[in-house]
Amino acid sequence: MTALWIAIGIWLAAWALNVWLSASPISQTRLGKLLVPLVFGATVLVLWEGLVRGLGIAPVILPAPSAIAAKIAVSLPILWQDFAQTILKGAIPGFLIGAGAAFLVAIAIDRSPFLQRGLLPIGNFVAALPIVGLAPILVMWFGFDWQSKAAVVVVMVFFPMLVNIVAGLQASERMQRDLMATWGASYVQTLIKLRLPAAMPFVFNGLKIASTLALIGAIVAEFFGSPVYGMGFRISTEVGRLGLDMVWAEIAVAALAGSALYGLVALIERWVTFWHPSQRH
Amino acid sequence: MKRLLTAAFLAAMASGASAEDVKLQLKWVTQAQFAGYYVAKDKGFYEEEGLNVTILPGGPDIAPTQVIAGGGADVIVEWMPAALAAREKGLPLVNIAQPFAKSGMMLTCLKETGIKEPKDFADKTLGVWFFGNEYPFLSWMATLGLKTDGSPGGVTVLKQGFNVDPLLQKQAACISTMTYNEYWQVIDAGIKPEDLVTFKYEDQGVATLEDGLYVLEDRLADPAFQETMVKFVRASMKGWKYAEANPDEAAMIVLDNDQTGAQTETHQKRMMGEIAKLTAGSNGALDVAAAEQTVATLLAGGSDPVITKAPEGAWTSVITDKALAN
Amino acid sequence: MNRVLPVLTVLTGIVVIWYAAAVWMNAAWVFDQAQRAGQEVTWAEVIPQTMDQPRPLLPPPHQVGAELWKGLFGQAVTSKRSLVYHGIVTLKGTMMGFGLGIVVGVLLAMAIVRFRVMDLSVMPWAIISQTVPIVALAPMIITVSSQLGLSGRDVPKAVIAAYLSFFPVLVSMVKGLRSPDQMQLDLLKTYGAGEAATFLKLRLPASMPYFFASLKVAVAASLVGTIVGELPTGAIEGLGARMLIGSQFGEPLIMWAALFAAAILAGLLILTVGLVERVARRRMGVPA
Repeated sequence: MTALWIAIGIWLAAWALNVWLSASPISQTRLGKLLVPLVFGATVLVLWEGLVRGLGIAPVILPAPSAIAAKIAVSLPILWQDFAQTILKGAIPGFLIGAGAAFLVAIAIDRSPFLQRGLLPIGNFVAALPIVGLAPILVMWFGFDWQSKAAVVVVMVFFPMLVNIVAGLQASERMQRDLMATWGASYVQTLIKLRLPAAMPFVFNGLKIASTLALIGAIVAEFFGSPVYGMGFRISTEVGRLGLDMVWAEIAVAALAGSALYGLVALIERWVTFWHPSQRH
Repeated sequence: MKRLLTAAFLAAMASGASAEDVKLQLKWVTQAQFAGYYVAKDKGFYEEEGLNVTILPGGPDIAPTQVIAGGGADVIVEWMPAALAAREKGLPLVNIAQPFAKSGMMLTCLKETGIKEPKDFADKTLGVWFFGNEYPFLSWMATLGLKTDGSPGGVTVLKQGFNVDPLLQKQAACISTMTYNEYWQVIDAGIKPEDLVTFKYEDQGVATLEDGLYVLEDRLADPAFQETMVKFVRASMKGWKYAEANPDEAAMIVLDNDQTGAQTETHQKRMMGEIAKLTAGSNGALDVAAAEQTVATLLAGGSDPVITKAPEGAWTSVITDKALAN
Repeated sequence: MNRVLPVLTVLTGIVVIWYAAAVWMNAAWVFDQAQRAGQEVTWAEVIPQTMDQPRPLLPPPHQVGAELWKGLFGQAVTSKRSLVYHGIVTLKGTMMGFGLGIVVGVLLAMAIVRFRVMDLSVMPWAIISQTVPIVALAPMIITVSSQLGLSGRDVPKAVIAAYLSFFPVLVSMVKGLRSPDQMQLDLLKTYGAGEAATFLKLRLPASMPYFFASLKVAVAASLVGTIVGELPTGAIEGLGARMLIGSQFGEPLIMWAALFAAAILAGLLILTVGLVERVARRRMGVPA
């Protein structure tokens, strides 16, 4: 039990540290903004370790973070192979194809308000559907390898992106468009110089949603058939083998990859839409 | 040891106040594969023994071993390879009864791929179930001397989903099937038996024991629990023998218990017929020779053995001796 | 009303493409079978055969429609074969998860807006939590909840649904609770309003439009969570379980019908939430 009490003690101390940090001027700096969540994350791990050790929870139910870290350290090649299969071959191409296709379709129907009026409600509806249910069907169609995973991701990503891009293309103001018209700008010029930049906040909003969907889609699809590597494969197989430390190692990789993808999108957003009020801190 | 004790303690807590409550975790969804238990429940065999049995269906993400470790079940239906692997991982599972005498697992291939005997597997793609069911396959390949990492001269392994599509879509040359389930789906899909080549694990000498009943070792020390299990096994075997004798009625009982409502009568009746062939000849007592054969097969796993050493105390006849005594 | 015609046009287009795809995808099987039987088939013979296969690669719309109709109206709604019955099971899980998600999201948002330390420490982790694939956690959630003595399937399902649905609520509520500007806050201060009064009279009302806007997203997320939760958590009942059984027993029609039933459920949920939103807005005097 001592392990548990020590963990709780550390938790309280770290929490106090965080309270102090947030109140101090350090928290205004970039370092401080990074430090506080890191301290918080670390204390969660310590508490977890303490719980597992203090209560003697069986490792086949919940392994301690130290055990997971040890597993990660010895399984780097496997983790990398799974990461490459699921993220690099499944999620990212699917994400790019889905977002790209949505972009092309949005531009294609841009000049037809009729099609927009027809497609938008349907797109909105489909975006809210449990598309993951299509995963077994797409695996049947596209086979076992990464192609079917990418296909699931494409379908999951497409509709949220389409809805956001179409909304974004309508985001420029009447006055701005009129101004472009008085300058004699063509459709393409207006699109490139005014409407696309104005659409960017919406596009990035869609991309952020899509980045988390992409990961979920690629992993769920592996559930319904896969080669003998990949994160979804490893997770479902290791649960069956009671290798829970490996399962959590994969979860850690997934969280890391997801955060990196999300962070990358956020970074590009800041760079592209520097002019938008939400980016001025 | 402390960890194990806690698991056992939690398991004891979860089993509740009445000692005669039994929770049975199945290996897969409700289907005729588990007919004996459903029959025993619906026909009142459990009730006659004074037991209140809850049958928990499984699913793709449910490992019975993990459920019993978490205290979610008192007894589980599991395949011996997975149970032995869990035992090596520190979960002390013990086989208390073995209603399935034979293995129903096989590899079904399309004839057009040119596969005639096991050595033709080289350089072909084979569909395999994972989630604890891959062990017999890996052992077999090791005995054949075929590598499973996709290198030339070996076999490429696919994790097959829950159906026979990979064979129908020709994504794999062979897929894993059970005599009582997937094989018939291939037939139902319109492929004729003569277009198929099948390899039964039983015939290849690499059979491992399937659906057995497993409990945690520490709980077996408790005489009250032992007594409950004796009653449970006795009633379950009565259910199995009833199902064997009345396959159609058993299939209908299974259908009544299928909460998804998606199972069909044809499937279940046929499955029951095939299951009866596997349970025939078992009175519930484990055939120690077959268990040792399973261990030998698993130990033959070459470079990546399923278990590293022969297990001790992984099965006991304590329960079946008493259950079958009268 | 000017939307009806365009939507119908697009829908018709989808159905036409669907039929064409069904012919194209299902034809391979017909040819294969003919080849095995040693026969020649012409396209004129193939097309009708692609329309009513028992196990089509892509069932044409009328087959899905028929199966859906059978599932919805073919039997008493209490029957286990009824899609209505399974829809209600899924709906129950969705609503539990949705409710839990709202409570967690709103409470966290309140804490984050009130305490800077919460904002700094918890907010980044809330974002990271959404990048963890929930399916990976599902088996863990089941074992942990069974350890806690909650053996029912409802709780794990609701937890998974809540895990997905709390996030949109949290993000919107944080935005909403922060939406009153300095002038309004200052005004309340001059009235001598305390923290509680400021919260109740200014921040909370100001956040309501944001709150309702997030509900549509949250309810859809909750439905996805419930279905994902039903796939692995024992496949006992619910639309997700039917999809799985359909896939396992090679009955694509069951799978497609369940998928469309889920779509109908999603539509109904979104409509209801939209209606609640409109009523609430009118009550609160927000111009539509």
